[in-house]
Amino acid sequence: MSGRRGRISDDEINELISKLQALLPETSRRRNASRSSASKLLKETCSYIKSLHREVDDLSDRLSELMSTMDNDSPQAEIIRSLLR
Amino acid sequence: MISLGGGDGGGGSSSSSSSASRKSSSRAKATQTKWRTGTQQKIYGRRLLDALRATGGAPQPRAVKAAADSALALTARGQTRWSRAILLSTCRRRVLVKAGGKIRRRHHRRPAKAAALEPAALKERKVKERLRVLGRLVPGCRKLPAPALLEETADYVAALEMQVKTMRALADALAAAQLSSASPPETERS
Repeated sequence: MSGRRGRISDDEINELISKLQALLPETSRRRNASRSSASKLLKETCSYIKSLHREVDDLSDRLSELMSTMDNDSPQAEIIRSLLR
Repeated sequence: MISLGGGDGGGGSSSSSSSASRKSSSRAKATQTKWRTGTQQKIYGRRLLDALRATGGAPQPRAVKAAADSALALTARGQTRWSRAILLSTCRRRVLVKAGGKIRRRHHRRPAKAAALEPAALKERKVKERLRVLGRLVPGCRKLPAPALLEETADYVAALEMQVKTMRALADALAAAQLSSASPPETERS
């Protein structure tokens, strides 16, 4: 498993394809069947990661806003903690 | 009753496409299902709460994201490259990391485009280019060779999904708590 940066063999490409298909969410996997090239799958993976990043950013905005308004209400922190127990 | 643990509980075992039972693919599936268990969500949820509480009450969105990411990396227990990269980046001074990552442009060695016109080589170049983009998206994985990068990606994607689910559950719970508590008329949050 030396880190060769040269050509990617066909076997590796096939393995890439199967691994990538396992990564993507169920909905797009059904659409893809088995015809997608490694390049398309990689592109979908990249855009999926980017959309996940965006969701985290949106949720961070939302949480920041929620936390700023709950500042004085300590019972809410208790509620949250009890939910996790 | 809002529960943060065991949402879909489906596990990633529906895709049993690997013909040969390689160690790497089974390990990848193991890491994926690990992130979907209820215990991981609970652990992460607690760490997230601790990190949020440590921000001091009214954090900026950027601080929330940083807290969420470092809590995620902690929950990964440093077993993956991406998690170690996140933990390291919060230890070092953020300014230095940003300067090193963004301002300094490494000299891109562009391969000769005119030479390879055969479809096989073109496809390979596309794949390599996409792999490079992927390496930039996953923290700490820029120079990783393809198979290792894919393993990191698998774990990272599963972890991100859990992060999104947990953060959303927390935000919904906070919003619901604010609605149900006796809120004064001026704070009208939908």
